[in-house]
Amino acid sequence: MLYSIIFPLLNSMPGLSGYVFPNEYELHWSILIVIYPYLTGLVAGAFILASLERVFKVSALKPIYRLSLLTALSFMIIAPLPLLAHLGHPERSFEMFLTPHTASAMAMFGFVYAWYLMVVLLLEIWFDYRKDIVIWSNEKKGIVKYFYKLLTLGATDISEKAVAFDHKIGRVITIIGIPSAFLLHGYVGFIFGSIKANPWWSSVLIPIVFLFSAIVSGIALMLLVYMITSMVRWTTMSMKCLNKLAEFLLYAMLIDFSLETLDFIHRLYESEESISILSEMISSRLFISLIITQIIIGSLMPMLGLVFARFGKLPDELRRMIYFISAILVQVGIFSTRWNVVIGGQLFSKSLRGLTTYKLDIFGIEGLLVSIALLIAPIGILWVLTKILPPWNEMGKVQKEVAKMSATESV
Amino acid sequence: MSKIPQQIIPIVIILMIVVGSFIAAKNIFVPSSFGEQGHFRTEAIQENMDLEQVYAGADACYDCHDDVAEIKSDSYHKGLSCEVCHGPASQHVEAPDEFIPDAPRGRGYCPLCHGYNPSRPSGFPQINPERHNPGKACMSCHDPHNPLLPHAPEECSACHQEIASVKIVSHHATLPCTQCHTIEKGHKTSPKFSKAHKPIDNSTCAYCHEKGSTIKKAAPKINVELHSDRYLCWDCHYPHYPEAF
Repeated sequence: MLYSIIFPLLNSMPGLSGYVFPNEYELHWSILIVIYPYLTGLVAGAFILASLERVFKVSALKPIYRLSLLTALSFMIIAPLPLLAHLGHPERSFEMFLTPHTASAMAMFGFVYAWYLMVVLLLEIWFDYRKDIVIWSNEKKGIVKYFYKLLTLGATDISEKAVAFDHKIGRVITIIGIPSAFLLHGYVGFIFGSIKANPWWSSVLIPIVFLFSAIVSGIALMLLVYMITSMVRWTTMSMKCLNKLAEFLLYAMLIDFSLETLDFIHRLYESEESISILSEMISSRLFISLIITQIIIGSLMPMLGLVFARFGKLPDELRRMIYFISAILVQVGIFSTRWNVVIGGQLFSKSLRGLTTYKLDIFGIEGLLVSIALLIAPIGILWVLTKILPPWNEMGKVQKEVAKMSATESV
Repeated sequence: MSKIPQQIIPIVIILMIVVGSFIAAKNIFVPSSFGEQGHFRTEAIQENMDLEQVYAGADACYDCHDDVAEIKSDSYHKGLSCEVCHGPASQHVEAPDEFIPDAPRGRGYCPLCHGYNPSRPSGFPQINPERHNPGKACMSCHDPHNPLLPHAPEECSACHQEIASVKIVSHHATLPCTQCHTIEKGHKTSPKFSKAHKPIDNSTCAYCHEKGSTIKKAAPKINVELHSDRYLCWDCHYPHYPEAF
């Protein structure tokens, strides 16, 4: 009788269930480690999208080429901050560069990050903007003029030959940048996928799944950034560009979702000893964040929305609205993916006999407020960057073309 | 000779500055002996060797305190060095009258090892300091040099608290340990010599859980032979917390 009262009470407590080792009660990797792969994914995705225009000549994406590069840079600047905030001694992090251990994936990643930031993103942006920077350094007045003069780095030659060289080298950097972007986010997946002691993470598919989810999140982000910036600036959006973005987003989502499903089926079929605790975790602790948020809200609904909006006969206004909502849902879904990987991998005991719970703090360095600040910060940086290096000039031209075309274009 | 494009020059200069700063930082910040023998600063070994030696080692203690050494040699604490409790005693060895090592007499010290912690092995004596004779010094009942129990434990949980703390919230809470374990006489006082035995086949579980068993009517009933096939019950069910799975 007594136990019939106590047990339902115990089971309803959200804390621990089953047997959990003492060092597993509290999670070591918090929401900051969720944000980190989310941000790097957006960087890689936005860059890969930019490269589509540059390398693969997808002209419909021209209006967002520069914006994608600036977005990638904004998120790139913030991406290491959650890791630094998570460290006990962030001031020692530079030692990883000075005495890197070649057997440590995390140590080597410092160089991948530095390469990507300095050689790929900054160089590509500089070469792409160089002509404009030189023009602005001549047109602007006062201190701004000297700021742009500084940005020219003394290279003021904007002859046709020099600009052609800029384009050529920009293309080469983009070609180098694509494998670099793959490496950047593939690595993040690798960090998790290579942890053989954790059955939720240990899978060779994880880096590939991360990569495709990065592309998905990057495209969805650019869809949002493009729509919001256009709305704020009261300019017309290129429907051609939006449609192309939606198409790429849908294709990337289909691959990403298939890979994740493959991974899931593979695990089920393989049915290793961990499968029962993982199933229990999915049906209890991760039910909302995995089944509801990641799969239904974050994958199936936006995919259906995109199919309906892109290939259905809808007015542009409605189509844009569905794209917008789908892109938001995708962001929610991808954030859930990161959450389910990072937090999910720590919710079950290595004894495979129990589950613990993650309690998110509100205040404190690993809390909700810091996390929100880290997620908002790149948007602030993007705003500043668009003030310094406006990506709109080129868009104006394209919009004019689009306006001309839209009269005859049937989508 | 084709001219180098103007925009390449600043990039090359910046690249050289970055690489140069990196090399300079490596030279300035990385200690010269780093990496000589491995991924660490070799000088650190000598620095540690040069540190003042504060521990004398148990053998130095036994030279004078042979009476304690004899008591300790046959006790559960025989593997424990004197300085674990008494603190570093190198100075005491050099000047026995001038420096007297400390001896912890309060209740705070023994629980460092004997306070309940689920990560400690089952069978290792563990107590809850708040419930175990509150206010009484440990030494008043236990001789630290030969920590025998003043009397045999009344409950199995005195040593197997990890199991007891799980079992207490399980459906098996009311079962005595002896329901499944046969305990040799003297196990409570000499656990290493008199063992507690575990069930060897499914008949132990079947006693209550076999279909048709009239023992413990509320217990779930199954056809043990069909249900378990060639497995033992505890291959799947943890007997101290069977609802875990």
